[in-house]
Amino acid sequence: MRGKPGDEAMKRIFIKEEYCLGCRLCEIYCQVKHSKSKKIIKAFKEELVDVLPRVLVEEIGHNAFAIQCRHCVDAPCVAACISGAMQKNKNTGVVTCDEEKCVGCWSCIMACPYGAIKRDLVGRKIASKCDLCEDEDIPVCVKNCPNEALEFRDTGE
Amino acid sequence: MDKGNIMSNDSIDYLIIGNSASGLAAAESIRELDGQGRIVILTEEEYENYSKPLITYYLAGRISAGRIYLKEESFYRENNIGLLTGARVISINTGNNSLKTEDGRSFEYIRLLIASGGKPIVPEIRHSTAGKERKKNLERYIDGSNYGNIGGIFTLTTLKDAIAIKEYIGKNKIDNICILGGGLIGLKSAEAFLETGMKITIIELADRILAATFDREASGIIENTIRSAGNGIYTGNTIEEIFTDNGRISGCRLKDGSQIECGMLIIAVGVVPGISITRGTGIKTSRGILVDDHMKTSVKNVYASGDVVESMDILLGENRNIAIWPLAVRQGYVAGNNMAGGEKSYSGGFFMNSVEILGIPSVSMGLTNVEASGDGSVEVKKELKTDRRQYKKVVIRDNRISGLIMVGNIERAGIYAGLIKNRIDISGIKQDIFREDFGILHLPSNYRKHLVVGEGIEV
Ligand SMILES: Cc1cc2nc3c(=O)[nH]c(=O)nc-3n(C[C@H](O)[C@H](O)[C@H](O)COP(=O)(O)OP(=O)(O)OC[C@H]3O[C@@H](n4cnc5c(N)ncnc54)[C@H](O)[C@@H]3O)c2cc1C
Repeated sequence: MRGKPGDEAMKRIFIKEEYCLGCRLCEIYCQVKHSKSKKIIKAFKEELVDVLPRVLVEEIGHNAFAIQCRHCVDAPCVAACISGAMQKNKNTGVVTCDEEKCVGCWSCIMACPYGAIKRDLVGRKIASKCDLCEDEDIPVCVKNCPNEALEFRDTGE
Repeated sequence: MDKGNIMSNDSIDYLIIGNSASGLAAAESIRELDGQGRIVILTEEEYENYSKPLITYYLAGRISAGRIYLKEESFYRENNIGLLTGARVISINTGNNSLKTEDGRSFEYIRLLIASGGKPIVPEIRHSTAGKERKKNLERYIDGSNYGNIGGIFTLTTLKDAIAIKEYIGKNKIDNICILGGGLIGLKSAEAFLETGMKITIIELADRILAATFDREASGIIENTIRSAGNGIYTGNTIEEIFTDNGRISGCRLKDGSQIECGMLIIAVGVVPGISITRGTGIKTSRGILVDDHMKTSVKNVYASGDVVESMDILLGENRNIAIWPLAVRQGYVAGNNMAGGEKSYSGGFFMNSVEILGIPSVSMGLTNVEASGDGSVEVKKELKTDRRQYKKVVIRDNRISGLIMVGNIERAGIYAGLIKNRIDISGIKQDIFREDFGILHLPSNYRKHLVVGEGIEV
């Protein structure tokens, strides 16, 4: 696992806008990762309509930009969360939404200045956001970016 | 109930009145700086910990009583925080740094935080009874002190209220509810009752519901949605008289003469800061407790935060009571930090809220009920798609966004919140702010940089 408890330097995703081609592979790999089967072909055929990508590619003309939760130091979504579902891990600094506790009040969507949280309306209505793929060595959006427009490294570097 | 090391005669390093959003945020922030100091939280309620805004979700059956907690069970133990439930503070003596609870105990503190929130208002309403009960000597008026004596009349601001309401509905097979007050709590209750298939009637004094936070168009969409599902809304109206039958509410008569039958009445006309405990203490109050940007009151070593205070509204440039969760948390955090020797300051806030009625989500923030000014300093952009029940309005004052309403589609609403909070000059992007795909790429480049530097994005 990455980052020891208490580590000051925590790994985060950095965005290198000038390299983003707007290919949206990050979105697809994110969807697959958060699908049930986690298999790209099966997920594509049967599940993707139901799974939201938790990274979002914005595009204006030739400018493109992939953005996911920044896991803010002073996270406004955590302060705004009325249910206690949105939590910032004290050790890793990763902000996650406990989907069992979320009631879908959308306070976090209203508070996130990056617009990085979405309404997941399939099944129970809950907030959907980047979990930094905590069970992977490298988040899948970073790993599968063909142009290295996303980078995963210590915040201190 | 006592949890943690409460029983000791030493002065408590950090004594906190209030076990909710603000008090708990303060305790957490104290612990960030001071791992040892003794923290004790007092609450007048019997429940150990729950999230107040979840009580309507509990009523709707969307969350169980077991999940309504705000903090994990281990929270108090892990942070070594003492909690005393059923402890209503009745007086504070700032002369000798102590306070008293209703059950006769007293506590000494080194630093005190008042995070006691708000209390519901109950207006005086005439009361008549039907049939043989007339002879009994019943009260002619209900008010805050006696409404509980009548079955089926409730306020809805605590878990205790919600549990009692749920029980009453079950026992008396209620399917028809009047809600007095079409503000936020009224609408949050409406959201819950509608979700469980009840018929509701909202009675609102203003000429429309959500009048304080929505404009006419947005209120209209919500009103139409509620009405077309077979429910009633009476605006510019109020309850003049309630009727009871066998000690239980059976209906009411409105100012315009309409008579409505109902099995239950929820009084949701508003909440006021609970400042009565500051009487005689020298702590300065107006509508709420007055605080500076470190959440200090006018009395040394006494802090206050959350729904009980008046704090800086960055859009009005003056202090006022903005009773919402995110600000209660933020202020609690700042208060705790300063109590423990930190130097964080509160940079002010603005109103924001999200409600979903019958599947229509909505968000409103800042000053929304504003029209364009003749001199061009206030601009208003709106777009109403009546058929799709979608509406969006952006209020721009001196080239800065000062208000937003989104109904139907609320995606990425927070981007606007960021622009409001940081008072970003949007003159260069006015043509973009209404785009469907409005996003980070459209933001002024300076602000985009500011957003991303330090939080992990390189642009
Ligand atoms: C039904 C409902 C729905 C809401 N929904 C939303 C929402 O969706 N979004 C939003 O932003 N806000 C919402 N709010 C408002 C939000 O709940 C408050 O802004 C927030 O709870 C304020 O937190 P607080 O800690 O300042 O005070 P409170 O939550 O009011 O807590 C006060 C604490 O002080 C204790 N206390 C009070 N007096 C005494 C005393 N004399 N002695 C001892 N203890 C005392 C109480 O027991 C309690 O623990 C809602 C409120 C209600 C009632």
